[in-house]
Amino acid sequence: MFSKPIFRFSLLLVLGVAAWQGCKKSDFENAALGDHTAEFAFPLFTTDVKLKDLLLNILNDTLSGDTIFINPDNTMTLFYSGDVAEKPATDIFKFLESGIVPLSSDTVVNPIQAPNGVSITQATLKGGEISFIFSNPTMDTIKGNFGIPEMTLNGVGFNHPFLLAPGEQNKVFGPFNMNGYELNSASYTITFAYAAYLPNGTKIKIPLQPNGFPNAFVVFLNLKFKYVQGYWGYQLYELTRDTIEIDINQTDLRGDIKIKSPKVTMRVRNSWGFPTRGIIKYLSFIGQNGEELQLTGTAFQNDGTNDYADFDYPSYIAGEVGQEKITDFVLDETNSNIADIFNLQPVRLVYEIDGVSNALLDPDLIGFMTDESVLGLQMRVQLLLEGSAKNFGAEQTLNLDFGEFGSLDSANIESVEFKLVTENGTPVDIDAQIYFWDAAGNTVDSLFDGGGQKIMNAAPISAIGTADGTTRTETFITMTAARFDKIRTTKTAVLKAYFTTAQGGTVPVKLLADNTAVVKMGIKVRKRLTGG
Amino acid sequence: MFNQHILLKINFLGRYSLALLALFCSIRISAQQELMLHALPDVWHSTSTNPAFFPEGKKFILGLPGIGLDGAHSGDVSYRDVFVKDGDRTVIDFSKVISKLDFTNEAHFDQRTEIINLGIRLPGKIMLQAGYANRLSGVLVYPKALPELLWNGNGPYIGETLNIGLKADVADWNEWSVGLAKQFGPLSIGVRGKLLTGVSSLLTDPNHISASVYTSPDIYQLSLHTDYGFHSASIIEAIDTSNLGFDLKLADLKRKAFSKNTGTAFDIGLKFKVNERITLDASVLDLGAKINWDTKANYFLSQGDYTYDGQTFPGTDIINGIDSLGFDLALDTLNDIFKFNKTPGEYTTKLPLRGYLGGSFMLSKKWIFGVSAYFTHRDGAKNTFAIGGSARWSPMKWLSLGAMYSVNRRNAANLGMHVVLKPGPVQVYFASDNILNAFSVKNSPAVNLRAGIALMF
Repeated sequence: MFSKPIFRFSLLLVLGVAAWQGCKKSDFENAALGDHTAEFAFPLFTTDVKLKDLLLNILNDTLSGDTIFINPDNTMTLFYSGDVAEKPATDIFKFLESGIVPLSSDTVVNPIQAPNGVSITQATLKGGEISFIFSNPTMDTIKGNFGIPEMTLNGVGFNHPFLLAPGEQNKVFGPFNMNGYELNSASYTITFAYAAYLPNGTKIKIPLQPNGFPNAFVVFLNLKFKYVQGYWGYQLYELTRDTIEIDINQTDLRGDIKIKSPKVTMRVRNSWGFPTRGIIKYLSFIGQNGEELQLTGTAFQNDGTNDYADFDYPSYIAGEVGQEKITDFVLDETNSNIADIFNLQPVRLVYEIDGVSNALLDPDLIGFMTDESVLGLQMRVQLLLEGSAKNFGAEQTLNLDFGEFGSLDSANIESVEFKLVTENGTPVDIDAQIYFWDAAGNTVDSLFDGGGQKIMNAAPISAIGTADGTTRTETFITMTAARFDKIRTTKTAVLKAYFTTAQGGTVPVKLLADNTAVVKMGIKVRKRLTGG
Repeated sequence: MFNQHILLKINFLGRYSLALLALFCSIRISAQQELMLHALPDVWHSTSTNPAFFPEGKKFILGLPGIGLDGAHSGDVSYRDVFVKDGDRTVIDFSKVISKLDFTNEAHFDQRTEIINLGIRLPGKIMLQAGYANRLSGVLVYPKALPELLWNGNGPYIGETLNIGLKADVADWNEWSVGLAKQFGPLSIGVRGKLLTGVSSLLTDPNHISASVYTSPDIYQLSLHTDYGFHSASIIEAIDTSNLGFDLKLADLKRKAFSKNTGTAFDIGLKFKVNERITLDASVLDLGAKINWDTKANYFLSQGDYTYDGQTFPGTDIINGIDSLGFDLALDTLNDIFKFNKTPGEYTTKLPLRGYLGGSFMLSKKWIFGVSAYFTHRDGAKNTFAIGGSARWSPMKWLSLGAMYSVNRRNAANLGMHVVLKPGPVQVYFASDNILNAFSVKNSPAVNLRAGIALMF
């Protein structure tokens, strides 16, 4: 009797279960995302470096005279220049400027005051004053004039009247402005003369004082010469002593670098109007360990004691007054031992040079100088950036900014992989290692395990050694989360790079200013994602 | 910022996983045909397949809740592929699903929930009916690349363009219906008018349906492209992409019986009793069915092309110490790229048109054999067809059992079954076009079932 209701109930139950199975609100409403690992890839940065900029930085360019010159063919020449030693002629050769000439007679002839070895025959003044001071010891009025016959202004001689009352003392006549006066004296002398007359027309010499001192004086003050001409004899004087730092060889790291054609040039710019000889008292490079590497060769002459060089000068005879003559003395691999010296990577050049006028003691020499005559001397080391290098090292400190990576909750990061891509348009390989520093300057870690890696392969090179295309190099740097944790908090990285020119540094290459290397980096992060 | 990006991924995944959840939920609750119920014209809820159906001999019928579920996913993806037990919790795991997905994947789902309906037989062989039901219908077309990107990140897909544009046409509405059937001798004709009140809708714009992500093999530069638009009513209130988020602000989904988003539809059906043994029927459902969404209706459009190359700075500044070697992610501009512009705008969705053809042969009082055919037409999607043959055995007056073999686009061997119990005035039924899936919905890529209860007098 109960089988029918039980059967019906059972069927209802089955239907109910089936409907529930199909229709119940599933537990997925509260389902969380299953734990899994996802990988995210992002670009980080792209930067490009022009070889010119890189070189300037590597060379630690702190000397203003150092310049990379871009040649028309885009090759680069690196100049290290010393200070320009400029010597105005007026610093060395000083002529009568100020003084007093007592006139014990009505005519006094004096040699023109000049440095030793110089005799003036002609000069043009551009300033200064001359005065006459007279006293009248007589009881008569004295009337007259005074003059300097060798000095004229526009063809009119220097001549001025004077009048002295009886017994008048120390009367000053002048000062007379001497600007524009010309001095002409074939005998290297200058004459001061006066003519004095009593009221009755008698010409007199102004009597001397009782103690024998004269009552007439000529005072010249601050005479300045615009032009001086005369005989210049032998005279020795100091020109310059200087040091040129060769920064390219002063990086902390070392390597073999060969510059194909190093040059040292001594450039003299001379507007002195007489022959000057430079005496090379010292010209040596200083090596890596402080040793002296004397630069010798045939570019200079030798007098048995020192090398010397005669500088070109503007010639009076040739009508070259006011001109500047430039003389370059070039020491290169053809006339000196500079190539051998540069293979030793010298760190500085030291030189000392003196000057000698009329070194040949020409008795007939007519020379000149103007108020603008200058002798300038500059030494310059000239390195055409063509050569080869093997593991030439450079070091660079970089600021780091990990941005959001710095504060990232890395608890679920499993690993990161940096992808470093270089597209190198330079003929240089680069092996590099980056050391990460903490705030105290302690090394926390390095980018590569076990030393640096080649991150940049040299571009193909043409027959003339220039880069011909680009070479792409990919480097993958995998890090564990723990290691990444350490690195991402650092703020400073020290890049140590080792440069080797193409083909293992066995052939010279030319570094062109527009050679560019592109460096870029992306990152893959494997992160454990949990739904909680 | 990197954190934020990870969060972006998680949020993105989380948000879209909700959509995927819905997708797989649909698998659990739906099927792409409903032949079995149609083969049971004496079951009250079968009138939803043909307004000319009205149980013979019954004068008053009160339809109580019933549910019809129909869903399918292309390929061989099941609930258990996605929702995995992990101890005492269920977690979402796409790792098994992705390998099963096709390049492009489709999921269809339809749900019909009968809330209540009435049937009255009047003199003159006139049958009246009225009812209220909730319906949900949708299709999602999504590329495999979408779950791949969300689950695996972009790392494994370097050098590939991942097209992640998802197509969706989903609508949830109420259906208020009034029907009239009239018997003319052996022919019964039924019509039903329906007032549709929209609850919510999501419709992607076919003219703006592209979104892609490309990760360059160089240094993983990201190229993002989006030209993606969709209409939404009462589902998505806003999309907040600020601060690298991708936060979908969902609207309050309280179901209301009426709304100002309205539409109409019509069903028409006929049944022709050829003789005492043979009966034919045909119906077309949801004729002209569409809903105008003009309340809480918005159009969201995201358009942009963006390439993120990472930071770019002159190397000179780095080596001179003026700038830092930066590893930051400057991805703020993603906000501008994915930013969806929201503009109010009404739109219309067309609901799928359905139809049935059927015939039955009563061999004896206990055995009835039948054939049924079903089709669905949805704008922008492939038409679906199914055909099946059924056998019904009624060993007792209050019990019938049946089976059906049917063929549809995705499966040539669907074995369905039904059970109908009629204890007194109560009518309870369970039917499925694929009985194997019906009892293992979590392991099946397609599910169909129908169940309900009614009182008949």
